Amino acid sequence: EEEVRVRSKTKVDPVEEADFERELRALVQESLDSRKLELRGRPALNMMIPMNVFEGLSSGSHHHGRGDESDDEGADEEGGGGVSVRVLVKKGNKQQTKQLSVPKGCALVQGTKQKEAAELEE
Amino acid sequence: DNFEFGKTGGDFATEHACRYCGVSNPACVVRCNVASCRKWFCNSRGNTSGSHIVNHLVRAKHKEVCLHKDSPLGETILECYNCGCRNVFLLGFISAKTESVVVLLCREPCLSVNALKDMNWDLSQWCPLIDDRCFLQWLVKIPSEQEQLRARQISAQQINKVEELWKTNPDASLEDLEKPGVDDEPQPVVLKYEDAYQYQNVFAPLVKLEADYDKMMKESQSKDNVTIRWDIGLNKKRIAYFVFPKEDNELRLVPGDELRLRYSGDAAHPAWQSVGHVIKLTAQEEVALELRASQGVPVDVNHGFSVDFVWKSTSFDRMQGAMKTFAVDETSVSGYIYHHLLGHEVEVQVVRNSLPRRFGAPGLPELNASQVFAVKSVLQKPVSLIQGPPGTGKTVTSAAIVYHMAKQGQGQVLVCAPSNVAVDQLAEKISATGLKVVRLCAKSREAVSSPVEHLTLHYQVRHLDTSEKSELHKLQQLKDEQGELSSGDEKKYKALKRATEREISQSADVICCTCVGAGDPRLANFRFRQVLIDESTQATEPECLIPLVLGVKQVVLVGDHCQLGPVIMCKKAARAGLAQSLFERLVLLGVKPFRLQVQYRMHPSLSEFPSNSFYEGTLQNGVTINERQSSGIDFPWPVPNRPMFFYVQMGQEEISASGTSYLNRTEAANVEKIVSTFLKCGVTPNQIGVITPYEGQRAYIVNYMSRNGALRQQLYKEIEVASVDSFQGREKDYIILSCVRSNEHQGIGFLNDPRRLNVALTRARYGIVILGNPKVLSKQPLWNSLLTHYKEHECLVEGPLNNLKQSMVQFQKPKKIYS
Ligand SMILES: [Zn+2]
Ligand SMILES: [Zn+2]
Ligand SMILES: [Zn+2]
Repeated sequence: EEEVRVRSKTKVDPVEEADFERELRALVQESLDSRKLELRGRPALNMMIPMNVFEGLSSGSHHHGRGDESDDEGADEEGGGGVSVRVLVKKGNKQQTKQLSVPKGCALVQGTKQKEAAELEE
Repeated sequence: DNFEFGKTGGDFATEHACRYCGVSNPACVVRCNVASCRKWFCNSRGNTSGSHIVNHLVRAKHKEVCLHKDSPLGETILECYNCGCRNVFLLGFISAKTESVVVLLCREPCLSVNALKDMNWDLSQWCPLIDDRCFLQWLVKIPSEQEQLRARQISAQQINKVEELWKTNPDASLEDLEKPGVDDEPQPVVLKYEDAYQYQNVFAPLVKLEADYDKMMKESQSKDNVTIRWDIGLNKKRIAYFVFPKEDNELRLVPGDELRLRYSGDAAHPAWQSVGHVIKLTAQEEVALELRASQGVPVDVNHGFSVDFVWKSTSFDRMQGAMKTFAVDETSVSGYIYHHLLGHEVEVQVVRNSLPRRFGAPGLPELNASQVFAVKSVLQKPVSLIQGPPGTGKTVTSAAIVYHMAKQGQGQVLVCAPSNVAVDQLAEKISATGLKVVRLCAKSREAVSSPVEHLTLHYQVRHLDTSEKSELHKLQQLKDEQGELSSGDEKKYKALKRATEREISQSADVICCTCVGAGDPRLANFRFRQVLIDESTQATEPECLIPLVLGVKQVVLVGDHCQLGPVIMCKKAARAGLAQSLFERLVLLGVKPFRLQVQYRMHPSLSEFPSNSFYEGTLQNGVTINERQSSGIDFPWPVPNRPMFFYVQMGQEEISASGTSYLNRTEAANVEKIVSTFLKCGVTPNQIGVITPYEGQRAYIVNYMSRNGALRQQLYKEIEVASVDSFQGREKDYIILSCVRSNEHQGIGFLNDPRRLNVALTRARYGIVILGNPKVLSKQPLWNSLLTHYKEHECLVEGPLNNLKQSMVQFQKPKKIYS
């Protein structure tokens, strides 16, 4: 397992870091506040997963990203090894999926993995 | 620290190369999707606390990105799958409960939409797109060790500088940072100057920096989707009312500012735009804009307008002009003043004018001993400083000086101050002595209402009642009715008006205007031997110079260098010393100010701390406890006869909606309770002032009181809630100060400036309540001694307002805080 190491030839200046953190937080807070009053009542539209996704990649009916061209992509990620996920995106009103590798350790996919494992055991 | 930053490296020829470091691997870069930007950045951290792309987004306040076409996901603008929101600071991934399918979803509001919870998605594992100041590495790769080594090593400082540069020049490259002039710190101000050319060489670049910054700030303040309320003024001109939000330290509109209002047009209306002047700001923070042209205004439309700031260089041009005159025109100031201002050693000179028998003036209150001493001394000196601590009768003293100067027969006296409010106050007092006063206003302010309208030049021109002026009157009437004159009539009108203006101005004893106003072309041929500048500690040196270079032989600078100084927006210019006033430099050169020593404003309990902390204990009380007793006001002061307390607050500070300011909800709620208690016991709204250093808190308090106030809404609307800075020079019977800051680790920001604290503490006549967190504030030495002062007098309290108890809260040891 190889980790991506970020070189630190010069130490990050703590004053700069604090300043940056403050600006980042302000931006997040502002973003949140600006949308708090919006849209809350609006129902979630189009959040159904399209059926062709369930049919798997073999259908060939949708565009694949380049993720599937490189097998070892997840290899250099933290946690080691990747889980292949399909990212659902909208191009205009068209739904598309694209293949992407997510590290195993990522909480995002852990839930699914556990469930899958549980299902297998059954 | 020994590491040499590589100056080359990185592949900058590729369009999608990271603009910081040159990394150009398509899997590692994203494009900023802001239309005016469209720059590419990589996801490497390099030597900074966040990755390059996150650094850019934060520093430029940009929020949208697009992936590269050759990246795993292809050319994709990252957006919420549900609502389309593209703000990357809100986006994160969720996965389906059973399938290996993920989508981007925004945190607000989609993540909390109930309908989604019932669907096939697992919302509990929402995974933010930006984590640990980096984009998710599996979405945007981090460049390899090899790639990073090849890239340019950019420091956080360089990033900040280039981002700053991009604001004015979006195509600038990092190399431009090394060009002379861009990054150089300007030459700082000094105490003494060889000659006026050296003086100009130091100050001209600082004024230019401030002008450029001001221009950039103001022109970037355009607002779209502005809603307008239309009205018609007494002069039949169209007035547009709208809200134009402002932020801490940033644009503050003042009457006289020029704005452009635009409407892009629709099926029923052609595109339209017009420039106008701000004539007032309402209590609800609405701007009233008087439009220059009344033709074609889409008054039946209320929504969808855009507002731009029209920047004017006038004030900066006049400063530059004054410095040039100071250098090239030998008659601009007397030889003595020339050398004195430059800090040269000069022999003491006495002005040989006959002194009056008594130093007071008709129409003014009797002067006290320190005021008489100041007037008498000033009249005999060519250059003098008067320091007027809060409430010590600065204006009356100034008016008395002007009265005696005018009686000396040296010609007209010029009286200036940096702010219009101060000029108006002074003009009123001087006029009360019986002198003939002309208040010269900027043309753009002629529509702005003024308490001394009858003294203004434009009013006097209109109301001059002699038969020979009837021609001007006729033309004026015609112009008012028709809005325009024929070109021949217009010429005649202008010539007549100019002649009348000159005549009225020349016959005045005293001309009053702002410092910048002294550069008005209408005064171009006037000479003033005697000049008094009030509030001079709030003016920059070049600003002060404008009224001086009209031939000054005797100058009086009035001010208080222990209160707030001039506001400089450009940090570089401020660092180099533009924020230091001429008054302060003269003090540093050894000129001893005459200090007015008796204060007539504050209850003696309130003046004690400011006197000891800012004026070496020299401030005496001209009012007694009895004169400042709030009879009939049953307010729960913890100590009778000591109308003050520090109300301990432990509520959290928050970043305000604009993201650039702070607020504190608990303090705001308690401000409302205190205000309501004052009102219930018979205090009127105009007697109360609420001061807070933060715009976020100011807006929150105004809102909170009008929504949650226990009494009639209208009462709260009439209460002034404003920043410390906007209360300078003024007073209220009762002051409530909300400090806001309450955090363990960060500083206390604005409150750190002792001069600001001085101003905040010295506005109240009858009583003051301070709300703040002693644990946080006590770290700063001055606040620590203020808290100790309140504690020693049993005025440090906590608990409900109707049952205040001594607070036992522990203070922290005061630390030296770097400023
Ligand atoms: Zn950008
Ligand atoms: Zn980079
Ligand atoms: Zn959304």
